[in-house]
Amino acid sequence: MSDITIELHNVSKRYWLRRGWYVFSIKDEVGRLTSRLLRREVQPREEFWALRDITFSLKRGEVLGLVGPNGAGKSTLLKILSRVTVPTSGSFVVHGRLGALIEIGAGFHPELTGRENIALNGVILGMSRREIESKFDRIVAFAELERFIDTPIKHYSSGMQMRLGFSVAAHTDPDVLLIDEILAVGDASFQVKCANKIAELKEQHKTIILCSHSMSNITDHAKSVLWVDGGRVRMLGETDAVLDAYLEHVTAAMNTAEDTRGEEAGSGAGPASIHQVQTLDGDERPQARFDRGDRVLIDITYSATQALPGAVFGVSVEDIQGHPLGGVVTDPDSIKIPAPVERGVLRLTLDPILFNRGAYTLSVVISDPKVKRSYGLKRRAARIAVDGPRAADRESSGHVYYPHQWESLR
Amino acid sequence: MFDTIRNAYSHRELIFSFAVRDIKARYKQTALGVAWSLIQPLSMMIVFTLVFSLFAKVPSDGIPYPVFAYSALIFWTFFANVISGGTGAMTSNSSLIRKIYFPRETLLLSVLLAGLLDLGIASTLFGGMLLYYRIALTAAALWVIPLVALQMLLMLGIISLTSAAHVNFRDIGHGLPLLIQLWMFATPVAYPISVIPEWLKPLYLLNPMAPIIDGYRRAIILGTRPDLEALAVSAAVSLTLTVTALAIFKRAERTFADVI
Repeated sequence: MSDITIELHNVSKRYWLRRGWYVFSIKDEVGRLTSRLLRREVQPREEFWALRDITFSLKRGEVLGLVGPNGAGKSTLLKILSRVTVPTSGSFVVHGRLGALIEIGAGFHPELTGRENIALNGVILGMSRREIESKFDRIVAFAELERFIDTPIKHYSSGMQMRLGFSVAAHTDPDVLLIDEILAVGDASFQVKCANKIAELKEQHKTIILCSHSMSNITDHAKSVLWVDGGRVRMLGETDAVLDAYLEHVTAAMNTAEDTRGEEAGSGAGPASIHQVQTLDGDERPQARFDRGDRVLIDITYSATQALPGAVFGVSVEDIQGHPLGGVVTDPDSIKIPAPVERGVLRLTLDPILFNRGAYTLSVVISDPKVKRSYGLKRRAARIAVDGPRAADRESSGHVYYPHQWESLR
Repeated sequence: MFDTIRNAYSHRELIFSFAVRDIKARYKQTALGVAWSLIQPLSMMIVFTLVFSLFAKVPSDGIPYPVFAYSALIFWTFFANVISGGTGAMTSNSSLIRKIYFPRETLLLSVLLAGLLDLGIASTLFGGMLLYYRIALTAAALWVIPLVALQMLLMLGIISLTSAAHVNFRDIGHGLPLLIQLWMFATPVAYPISVIPEWLKPLYLLNPMAPIIDGYRRAIILGTRPDLEALAVSAAVSLTLTVTALAIFKRAERTFADVI
């Protein structure tokens, strides 16, 4: 008996840019024809390979994490697996009933009530009417919508609609489940229910592909990870190994590419500029990868065209998705810009660094907090990757590690 | 074709659910609700009676003109509604098509099903008219069943083509109302087939809807069987069209999600 549930062989998907190859308008075609007649260069239709030669297989009960930058082809891959679109070449098989927590609530009709929409959405997702009837109460209870079930869903809040959509989709009882970045539906208590539902499905040996930008979601659930980049398989393997390589790559790419195009608000115009932000290890060697608990030095090279008496320096940290994680500022009484500076260097020491495993960006600002004026700003000026304990022995969650100890008192 | 039938059977609940959704959603927040299914052919009948019978003195084969017109109008309304609804069936469900897989022809079949229900509602009034004009149904009225089946086959063929084309060319949506209008005047809805000059008849009867509409009238009001020869041509045209159109539709369906 073969345990393979999902198998892809050299799956590729091509899209045409500008317009689809048969989506043409008479105006365009006449334009192309005249160009050709006048022996002018005909603008070629540009192709774009969203996926290129994707090959992998998944066994029953496996959970695969799917990572990659935006536009890497993750969504296209999920679309092909869910049969919404067909690959340009290559073949794939999915054994068993497929469920997708991708675009939940697609197919809801705003004029119909919650009850009617459950019936409709359930059938669209492949359930029989009898099956829906038997699961109806559970679906409603899970979505916490008992009171509003006979209200047209156009009167629902977007959170309520998402909850209903998730609930219907989660009750389709699939053998294979595709999940795309939806673990953040609804309020905190509903998120817990969602996470529990996923865990429940894992326990039932469902095969799951989980696509997320949240590294902690991936480490929490996935045993192996597929990293796609530019439509190709960049790496496939054990979660820790792939995520290590992925974070390293993201960090390196950011430090070279983003450094030069770091956004400088009012660059040239502002009285102060931040030229370079360099991260160093405890031995003052340039370094962008650290272990949690390391000593991290951040050297900020700046200049000012005039004295800025009220100025303070600020360094703020964002996670890989751009969520702010807070930061630190200088004390205006100790660090000052009393006169024009041509090349000043300021060092910030973080000792120890208490971030959990992940990639983080640093933004640097020189501003006057009293008059709320920004003199110089460099967003995403540097990027660091932090290595932490393995997923298996993690004792903290989120981005920040809290120094702590547990004691059993009684 | 057989694939479609098999698929349709295994997805019958989906087809039914789409039809229920369309009907329910159509009459939500309307005051007259389902009565709109009656108003459409009824108002056309009144206009036609005024214009064609009272003013233009169009003959009606000895049948009272309102019955004459209504007998064709309910089936023509069925035709027009299914064609326009079916043509937009893919584009009006674009969010669904972009996100979830299901056999796309279920949307077409659900339009046919919903149209059939509207036809049923419009027929109740027709029954009342027949009573009023003391027109008794004969066994020939049973011809309506194969005629409706043939009409549905033809409509499925048409909307398979137009809905797939509409995904790529929204022009279809603009041209269609005009086409339906012209088509009605090429079909014996407002006038009897007997006014068509003999020399034009072979050409005229190539319109597959012509013998079907004429057939309803004969079967229900005159109590005779339809023009079987013309109907055979119509059936052949419809079958060829539908088989080809479904094959084209199934091919085009693969790229709907990318283009829509």
